[in-house]
Amino acid sequence: MTYRGAYAERILASRVERMGGTEFSSNIKREDEGGCGVTGFASSIPVAGRHIFEPSVRMHNRGNGKGGGIAAVGLNAELLGVTQETLDSHYLLNLALLNPRSLETVKQDLVMPFFDVAKEEILDHIPDYRDLEGLEVKPPDIWRAFIRVKPQVLTRFKEDNGLQGMPDRWAEDEFVSRNSTMLNKRFYSSLGEKQAFVMSHGRNMMILKIVGYAENVVRYYKLEEFTAHVWVAHQRYPTRGRVWHPGGAHPFVGLNEALVHNGDFANYSATCDYLKQRGLHPQFMTDTEVSVLLFDLWNRVYGYPLEVIIEALAPTGELDFDLLPSDKQELYDIVQSTHIHASPDGPWFFIIARNIPEQNTYQLLGITDTSMLRPQVFSLYDGEAQVGLICSEKQAIDATLRSLAAEDPRFGTVADKYWNARGGSSSDGGAFMFNLTPDGDGGRSLACYDKFGREVVVEPRQPLDVSIQVKRPDGYKQTIEPIVVKALNDKDPKALFDLVKEQAAEWDYNTLRFVLGAVAAKARSDRQYLDTVIGGFTLLLDRRIPLGGKKRSALLQILADELNGVLRSIPSITEAIDIAHYSRVSSETRKNLRPPIAIETTLVIDAADFDPEGDECDAVMMSDAFRLGWKKFLVFDLRGQRFEGCGFGAFTDGVRIDLYGSSGDYTASGIDGMDLHIHGNAQDQIGQIMKRGTLVIHGDVGQCFMYGAKGGSTFVLGNAAGRPLINAAGRPRVVINGTALDFLAESFMAGDPLNGGGFVVLNALTMNEDGAIEFLERPYPGSNLFSLASGGALYVRDPGRALVEEQLNGGRFADLSVEDWDLIHPYLLENERHFGIKVEDLLTVNGERRTPQDVYRKVEAVALTVLTLIPDTDDAVWSSADAAQAG
Amino acid sequence: MSYKNVWSEVPPAVVVDTPSRFGRALGKYTVSISDACNDCLKCVVVCPVHVFAATGGKLTPPRDHLCLGIECSKKSNRCVRNCPEQAIRVAENPSCKALGDRRWTSDLLMSTWHMAETGKLPENDLEYRIGDTNGGFDKLRLLFPKRPPRPSLEKDEIDTSIRLNKRDAGRHQIDIPIPVYGGGMSFGSISQITMLSRIKAFAAWGSFTCTGEGGYPEALFPFDDYIITQVATGLFGVREETIQRVKIIEFKYAQGAKPGLGGHLLGPKVTPAVARIRETVPGSSLFSPFPFHSVYSVEDHKKHVDWIKAINPRGLVSVKVSTPTDVDMVAVGSYYAGAHIIHIDGSYGGTGAAPDVAKKNIAMPLEYAIPKVHNFLVAEGVRNHITLIASGGVRTAYDVIKAIALGADGVVTGTSDLVALECIRCHNCESGRGCARGIATTDLELVGLMDLKWGSQRIINMLSCWRDQLREILYLLGIKSIRELVGRTDVLAHLDYCSDVPDDDIRTVGK
Repeated sequence: MTYRGAYAERILASRVERMGGTEFSSNIKREDEGGCGVTGFASSIPVAGRHIFEPSVRMHNRGNGKGGGIAAVGLNAELLGVTQETLDSHYLLNLALLNPRSLETVKQDLVMPFFDVAKEEILDHIPDYRDLEGLEVKPPDIWRAFIRVKPQVLTRFKEDNGLQGMPDRWAEDEFVSRNSTMLNKRFYSSLGEKQAFVMSHGRNMMILKIVGYAENVVRYYKLEEFTAHVWVAHQRYPTRGRVWHPGGAHPFVGLNEALVHNGDFANYSATCDYLKQRGLHPQFMTDTEVSVLLFDLWNRVYGYPLEVIIEALAPTGELDFDLLPSDKQELYDIVQSTHIHASPDGPWFFIIARNIPEQNTYQLLGITDTSMLRPQVFSLYDGEAQVGLICSEKQAIDATLRSLAAEDPRFGTVADKYWNARGGSSSDGGAFMFNLTPDGDGGRSLACYDKFGREVVVEPRQPLDVSIQVKRPDGYKQTIEPIVVKALNDKDPKALFDLVKEQAAEWDYNTLRFVLGAVAAKARSDRQYLDTVIGGFTLLLDRRIPLGGKKRSALLQILADELNGVLRSIPSITEAIDIAHYSRVSSETRKNLRPPIAIETTLVIDAADFDPEGDECDAVMMSDAFRLGWKKFLVFDLRGQRFEGCGFGAFTDGVRIDLYGSSGDYTASGIDGMDLHIHGNAQDQIGQIMKRGTLVIHGDVGQCFMYGAKGGSTFVLGNAAGRPLINAAGRPRVVINGTALDFLAESFMAGDPLNGGGFVVLNALTMNEDGAIEFLERPYPGSNLFSLASGGALYVRDPGRALVEEQLNGGRFADLSVEDWDLIHPYLLENERHFGIKVEDLLTVNGERRTPQDVYRKVEAVALTVLTLIPDTDDAVWSSADAAQAG
Repeated sequence: MSYKNVWSEVPPAVVVDTPSRFGRALGKYTVSISDACNDCLKCVVVCPVHVFAATGGKLTPPRDHLCLGIECSKKSNRCVRNCPEQAIRVAENPSCKALGDRRWTSDLLMSTWHMAETGKLPENDLEYRIGDTNGGFDKLRLLFPKRPPRPSLEKDEIDTSIRLNKRDAGRHQIDIPIPVYGGGMSFGSISQITMLSRIKAFAAWGSFTCTGEGGYPEALFPFDDYIITQVATGLFGVREETIQRVKIIEFKYAQGAKPGLGGHLLGPKVTPAVARIRETVPGSSLFSPFPFHSVYSVEDHKKHVDWIKAINPRGLVSVKVSTPTDVDMVAVGSYYAGAHIIHIDGSYGGTGAAPDVAKKNIAMPLEYAIPKVHNFLVAEGVRNHITLIASGGVRTAYDVIKAIALGADGVVTGTSDLVALECIRCHNCESGRGCARGIATTDLELVGLMDLKWGSQRIINMLSCWRDQLREILYLLGIKSIRELVGRTDVLAHLDYCSDVPDDDIRTVGK
């Protein structure tokens, strides 16, 4: 039976009565934290705790080691020493004992009188916490117990609280929830010296948290081998107080859900009041706790469907609201007006891991605020095993996949799909969840849905199994090898690329792997082929080619492995006897950095072990190398390292940087003249204050792309997330082949594009796995386009005229003139060179070639009076003088 | 006069008499001489402050802004009584009633002009310490011991220098000899001459001046070592090159005069020159967003700081924020993010361009914010590793002392520098062509009202006078170094809580 809130009023009435004591004035946020690193994944097969390790380490720079936690859902009964039945039916109580002596009293007063305990234990942990690097505070002892409410206690509870007739399980849920609240109040929040608190109490899920980095939870409580279907981790960045309690760390528990949060509520106090009016009293003074209380209230007490909960948290507005069907508008209108007092205001991003016992579903859910002010990336891998991931940054996703794939060939190192979400969106799905349900075969299968319940799918294709030995395919010598040899001898990377492009669809994985392996082996053994092989592999990474039934993610995985192998075979900078065009440096050899010698041209940087920022990071080394005379850089196996290309200073014409792997935030920020290519997706704050040069991104780009940029030419194969080109001035010239989520070119001030100013071309297309172009029906999903812009222009490919006035706050549509086309045409030609997207295809609509004027629309700035002169006698005199001058 | 080839030199920090550029300067009193004057020149002899002077036996127009007042003039040995023709009349200047406001009273304006002209405290009854707001620093008094506790202190050896990098051995070690540097005022909001006047004056004193968010005009290049470049939310004119030129980079998250609002420069001030530096459209108003779009949390902030540090591996980072109620949290967050300087900007400051609604209604008063942040940093155990700078309404040397005694290491000024350049606080700054004094304008004609040498010398003089006052105050308090004054709230009295507070005028204390 699905609960639809039938008992809500009675639950709340008794809560207020029994747990009342409302003090509305004391909503003080004691725990302040701006932001954090959050990561989570759901896997169709249970995976061990050590896999949350790598992504946690990758996000150290989002925490400060003063709070970390993990949650796991869909646990392993055997490892817990209980039956599956017990695991499913009992509440798993994780009680943190800040003072171990408090256990007796807690049990005596608040556990034993009410609960039957199926199994209890003190969680095993390593003997001395000081053995773990970075752990300065002893993690609490954890008392774990599997509990059920005693039947007679439950009957009394229902009678005493006016809940007669309520199904036992619902009442039991409420009892457990209230009991933990009372426990926390007595042993935690009411005390100066904290004694104990409930970390989690849900079914088939648990939370553990410490004062330290999240991965030390896994180490300390020896969870490396502990398996679960869903894991989340949180690195916290608290900024107040010298004494930290694990109580303030994330995740926070509702009932069966664990929530981690990155952000900050502006209306914390109002939200607390809303909860207090409903008998819920925040005890840990953080907005994260408030978030999970809201979720639990709306989910378990009010029985809202998930879509309604999401709408209450992240309201749909503006154009997104207009685009909803009328029945939905009516519903959302009610939801919004009823929950406006409690809807979290400000930047926030939740990852929720939950068990939904009545649907036998484990769920990983990611929700962002309406304006998506926090960084987040979603991704889905669908192979032999399926895994859905939600993280603050893409490198955490890649780190998870790398960790999983390293020991289980059913996982790949590259996901099939990466995307950003916008909380208040109606057109792109808003929030996303990964559901794990029984597959009827004893296991579980994963499906991804958006907030409306529409499934997100990747095209079903044959997964790669790297554990299979590669054999030489039949006929290799006759048909393939001659082409490879010729291409290498001709030094023609394009021919290598064309070979794979034309034949890969016919090949099986074995052939593909063999061919790429053979090419790589050539480059490793004979340096003269290096350029050609790197060039050919790069083209294969950048371009999409027909792959038959094979997955593009699999090709990327094979390529990355082979390319990394080739690049690691390049002589190290320390090997002075082996001078060639390329020289390789890693974090180990960075202190040996020297100027290029003889014929050396390119510094190859093995980024894997470099710090992501700080004086020791590879970006700082690269700018040092530039001052030593290096001009070309090839950086590979990046794992989220930031600031690539920064610090080179003015006039870097002639510098070329190629980035492979997961490049990090702020890449290419401030570049002035150089040529920087990102072979893959890019992160947040890319190209901030960029001045001159060329930036090519062979993938999507994250938040605040080219914020405050002054110029440069930029080409993006995929989408930009929120606020691209915001506050850009000068003459930036940008082609985005996908679209942007929202706030594109807000406050754009890029002069007159026809007179040296800047512009953005939005092609609004997407590509399928094989590289076929599909144009988006709605070229721009957001409600804010070119808002408050005073200069520059947008050129949007919109033959269907789907852009509407309502999306423009200050701009206006204009006809595309011949001059406009002459201006953007060369950029589209260059775009074609970078990505193979033909201008001809762009001008073709439904198979018919059209004129540029039919296809592209121009959005230009309107001189708003509020943005120009404030009328005034003095000004009037001067402005007429100005006009005379201008005239 | 020609100033060729000297424009890029840092002048010496020496006082040079620099009279008003507008003929007769405004003063508290007017001295008028009737036609009855017979040029006997007795007045020239009797006046102790040289209001009267003569050329070729003829009396020149009196420099009445130096006049000690009506009381003085009526004394038997002074001008009025000694004029055989009764030609001299000394009266209060009616302009005083129209001039200034409660924060910057006409007395405070004129005393600052006096300091800027002579490098000395006014000798008449001008109030030079406080304004008339009945709040803020105006409610605080210094408590001097009856006698200087350490009379053996050499005033010349009293140390007024402060340290800007307290945490980072690998980056520039910077001490500035005076606990003051110039706050951000962008090119566009003020003229290039104003900008350079400030920069040269602070450079003369070995201190710094912030560019504001309007970019880095080429004329500033010779002064790179004395400049703080600002990275503000609009990112106007911010380039890697500008970040690398300087020793200190300031993030402006907010401005005390208008927290919650970004900087703004209205259309008329966006002249072609301004637009070129900012790379925008001439005539089109420029609004900076209220947040950094790339920073919505402390870990974003850390990333932001890391970015600047990666670009300039030796530079110091200052973080400028306004004073919301949780400014202490912001400060400690900035410390953990790696900042060297936390700069809190209170709400009393701001030129005329900040909207009243923001100026008067948002943020915490500075005199409450400073101790809140100071005490919090002390409790966190990090106070000795970060420099705390306060700004927003620091008008006088007394304000400097009060801010430091409340817990700041040093202060940043803005308006007082402009007052030294004879700003009259008419509040027309935003209109660009409304600045009657050619200070807050980029209009070519108005800019010509001031020349660079005059401007920098005026500010040098004011700072010199401030430094002398700081030393005098420290001497009277028996403190050898201004660094020992930090957090010494025991030398302050608040009029709301203390009665019978003695006068703290250093011209009379102990004399």
